[in-house]
Amino acid sequence: MVSLGKEPSFSQPQPLIFDIKRHALQDGPGIRTTVFFKGCQLHCMWCQNPESIDPAPEIGFYPKSCMKSGECVTVCKTGACQTENPWRIDREKCDRCADCVEVCPGRGLRQIGRFCPVEELVSILLRDRVFYEVSGGGVTLSGGEPTLYMDYASSLLKALKKQRIHTAIETNGFFNWSEFEEKLLPWVELIMFDVKLMDSKMHLKYTGQKNHIILENLAKLIRQRPDDVIPRTPLIPDITATTENLKAISELYQSLGIKRCALLPYNPTGFSKVENIGKKVSPVLSKHMMKPEEERKCREIFSWVELVEF
Amino acid sequence: MASTTISASFTSCQDLSLREITLDSLPRLKRLRDLHFGTKPEICLELPRLMTYYMKNSGNKEDSPELRAGKMYKYILENKKPVIIDDNLLAGTTTTKQVGVVLYPHLLAQSIWPELETVSRRKKNPFGITREEIDELNFEIFPYWMNRTIQEVARKENGNPFCQRLMERVVFFIATKVYCISHTVPNYAAVVERGLLDIINEAKEKELSLGNSSDDKEKRDFYQAVQLSLNGILSYAANLSRLAASMAQKENDPVRKEELLRMSEVCSKVPAQKPTTFSEALNAVWICRVALLQENSSIAMSPGRLDQVLYPLYRRDMERGMSLSDAVELVGCLWLKICDQVPLAPEVSEELFGGSGCNQAITLGGIDMEGKDAVNDLTYVMLRATELLKVRDPNVNARYHPEVNQKEYLHRLCEVNINTGATPCFHNDRSAIEALQGQGVSLEHARDYSSVGCVEPTSSGRTFGHTGCILMNLPSALELAFFQGKHRLTEDEPIGPETKAPKDITSFEEFKEVLATQLAWLIDQAVTLNNNFGRAYQKIHPSPMQSALMEGCMQKGKDVIQGGALYNSSGAAMIGIAEVVDCMTAIEEFVFKKEAVSFSELLEAINKNWEGYEKLQAMVKTSTEKFGADSEMAKKNADWLIGFLHNTFQGKENYRGGKYTVGYWTMTNHAGFGVLSGALPSGRKKGEPFPSGITPVSGSAPVLTACLSFVAHLDHTHIADGHALNLKYTPSTTTSPKFAHTIEAFFKMGGLQVQFNIIDRKTFEDARKHPEKYPDLFVRVSGYSAYFKDLNPQMQQEIITRAEYHLDTGKEVRY
Repeated sequence: MVSLGKEPSFSQPQPLIFDIKRHALQDGPGIRTTVFFKGCQLHCMWCQNPESIDPAPEIGFYPKSCMKSGECVTVCKTGACQTENPWRIDREKCDRCADCVEVCPGRGLRQIGRFCPVEELVSILLRDRVFYEVSGGGVTLSGGEPTLYMDYASSLLKALKKQRIHTAIETNGFFNWSEFEEKLLPWVELIMFDVKLMDSKMHLKYTGQKNHIILENLAKLIRQRPDDVIPRTPLIPDITATTENLKAISELYQSLGIKRCALLPYNPTGFSKVENIGKKVSPVLSKHMMKPEEERKCREIFSWVELVEF
Repeated sequence: MASTTISASFTSCQDLSLREITLDSLPRLKRLRDLHFGTKPEICLELPRLMTYYMKNSGNKEDSPELRAGKMYKYILENKKPVIIDDNLLAGTTTTKQVGVVLYPHLLAQSIWPELETVSRRKKNPFGITREEIDELNFEIFPYWMNRTIQEVARKENGNPFCQRLMERVVFFIATKVYCISHTVPNYAAVVERGLLDIINEAKEKELSLGNSSDDKEKRDFYQAVQLSLNGILSYAANLSRLAASMAQKENDPVRKEELLRMSEVCSKVPAQKPTTFSEALNAVWICRVALLQENSSIAMSPGRLDQVLYPLYRRDMERGMSLSDAVELVGCLWLKICDQVPLAPEVSEELFGGSGCNQAITLGGIDMEGKDAVNDLTYVMLRATELLKVRDPNVNARYHPEVNQKEYLHRLCEVNINTGATPCFHNDRSAIEALQGQGVSLEHARDYSSVGCVEPTSSGRTFGHTGCILMNLPSALELAFFQGKHRLTEDEPIGPETKAPKDITSFEEFKEVLATQLAWLIDQAVTLNNNFGRAYQKIHPSPMQSALMEGCMQKGKDVIQGGALYNSSGAAMIGIAEVVDCMTAIEEFVFKKEAVSFSELLEAINKNWEGYEKLQAMVKTSTEKFGADSEMAKKNADWLIGFLHNTFQGKENYRGGKYTVGYWTMTNHAGFGVLSGALPSGRKKGEPFPSGITPVSGSAPVLTACLSFVAHLDHTHIADGHALNLKYTPSTTTSPKFAHTIEAFFKMGGLQVQFNIIDRKTFEDARKHPEKYPDLFVRVSGYSAYFKDLNPQMQQEIITRAEYHLDTGKEVRY
């Protein structure tokens, strides 16, 4: 975890990228490529990309691909790789040297997060240019938290704009406003902005940070770019998807004059990724999809505003 | 019944999906569809009986092949039983059965001989047959044809040549002329715009203008054959007309009586005269089709661009008050007629290659000969009929020109694909037209292409281009290259040329030379055999009716089999392209670039089916240098291989003076050939199905856009015989425009063809366990559609594990 304190001055120099998802259909308009930055100041309990939180490289273990060759145990210098361990790696002992990844024959062990120079990343993103053009798509920066790497993200967005590629960002909203305004805002066309919990204590409890910076940033953003912001709320049963919380969010939107927003349906199938990096799914989280009826109730609260779905 | 009547075009003002027209609003179609699915196909002896009788008793031994054929088809059609078997609005049937199996005695009919006693009881695709019919085949029909089939005539003429014995080993290639030559689109425009009498008169005039040279004598026989056989069609139509009239007399229901009277009237007019209504035109096309199917097998005998050919009369009738609902019903009647027969398949081939329909391809939309948007109201009517009926035949192919056609049209195609799960498939006009132009087809004629059989573009009514004459197992050439001309199945016996042993090969370039040597040799064998078979057809089986409905033949005075058509290509389909490219790339990467394994060790590993070499196998399999991925190495190898195959085939001439073109579509052969093939350096184990068509190996193309970019990158002018890119989508409840955008981008990049199954894996799994619950679950196999229950287990498995992407999220779906 990166500790950033209350008034973050932010911005790490170089991000690791942990995934580049091409043919992404739900991260903004059209067909897109989504770039996932590694590292986040929040650690939401329900995070769909748990491997995105820690900014440092991690080793993932994927049991389906493991051939039980034992090569990892042989090369491991710290004794972290253990054949009898169903999750292969004792995370306490592991120093993340990735020697085991090198020798693993079936790609059961993989390194999560690699540095990728901007030019190289842009060349990958341009591969799908025709798909963006016909569909009104483009590139979305996601994570993790892209605003954690303002300079890198800024040069990436500039390079994309130079190529006339539509740009979007998915952010947790926890950033230094002036830096964001200067380095990212001029180059980004759509901002998908997470609004999770209105109660600050709850926010702290479930995400590891309070929410006042986030809410202030949202207000500023709406003032400057009212048409380019889509605030989004992940529906987490009994946590964010309570009538009380959603009503409070809805009232906030009304007061800010928001015209469109999004609700992200709950999907517990993604949680299994936590286990690949040696962590456990929080028992607080429901294991079931939301019933259509429950989801409909949540939507009703926002019936006055356009609910965007990609 | 919905009865929206409008004077001109509805597409500007109405729902393109024609949602108000349903099977419930068209009870006739619903009834006929139920009847189709509820009927066990029966073997029909009518054609072989008539053919045998004519050949035994009436044939004049002095007649030239053309004249004999003309007389024989006249006899057959005069004596063909007129049948009106249900309340379909079109008269006549291919066989005498509700759903029949035609036996073509000069083709592979005898392959069913050993199974006559069991064919009605076999588990997969049983066919009904009676005791008397079995005896008739046993004693009357099959014995006569034993030495008179294409296969045996060619064998005798050429002294049982090596190439024919090579085919009989099954693992190298199949030359399909032994069971059909019908991959073509007849010129139905002539039937609709002129009528058969006009063509008969033309033949007569041409005949009368001939002199006495030997060349003119041959032409005279041809023109006479055309007149004789077309007159046979007119007799058949007259018989149908009489039957309808007599049925009308006995009919009590006034509505049905009226229908039968009208049918009688229609059949007394068409196809002799040029039709003047939409219903007459459909009847004319259907009657001609029935006749053509007596002459040649229905396999890949493709009706072509019916939305273009029939549009003027459709338009005329709409202006006179025909409702859209009536139009959908009429089109539906034709669709259900087209599937009134199924191909014959003996048990062995059922096991390896079974489940295929007849691949009778209809082509919709695209651009016209002037390059303008050709999508019309009838296109949408035909799409609605397709969407409602969900039958495997006709195989519906949609053309789309990314610069000319409307986006709404593409969206509608996607909607039909989602609603049917498997049809239509999508062709890119721009690439297909360029590919045909590369074969010397004029721009106008190229623009008027139809898909034949699976996916093969051919100029409609102008190309006689048996587009599926060779099905080649590409990985078998790899085998020969690895084992110095030997094949593991045939063990120590040398087959191909003895090339350098892999242990002595020092560079990847050198390996490519070895592979090229084996490929060239194999191509030579296949082409020689196809040409032998073609000459056997010239000797015993000209096609006067097909020739009358093919531009060029009447002008030249030549049958299609003699090269009468305007364009005369032959098409060869390659099976296993992605597998071979992955093997080549694995050899390049691991043997020569990284030197991670020696060639000998790699071959040892595949000889042991990777047992004891699991780590090596995993290394090869997890490599990202694959066909369908972002791999420059694989792209370069694919370009080389596709270029080599194109150039080698183009260098060969067929027996009609035309060229060979190459395609990448596989029907079910990729599963069949896979069963017969050993482990390969791509990491594939023995017996696994090869990937279908031009589709990547399952698991090798995790990113859909990368996969589409890879295939689009391939030079489509080297793929003039078409390709089938088979992909699968997890269904979604929404019709996102992003589906259409994906296709649009693929076409803008130059992709030639793509097709999707959009069916849930759970449905497939359940259908595998309980086939009885899913009689009509149909899927795209590799170019054509099939009923899932009819497919053999390895083919079902291949479809289930085929590369799949989620329609909502776009992600690869792995299980």
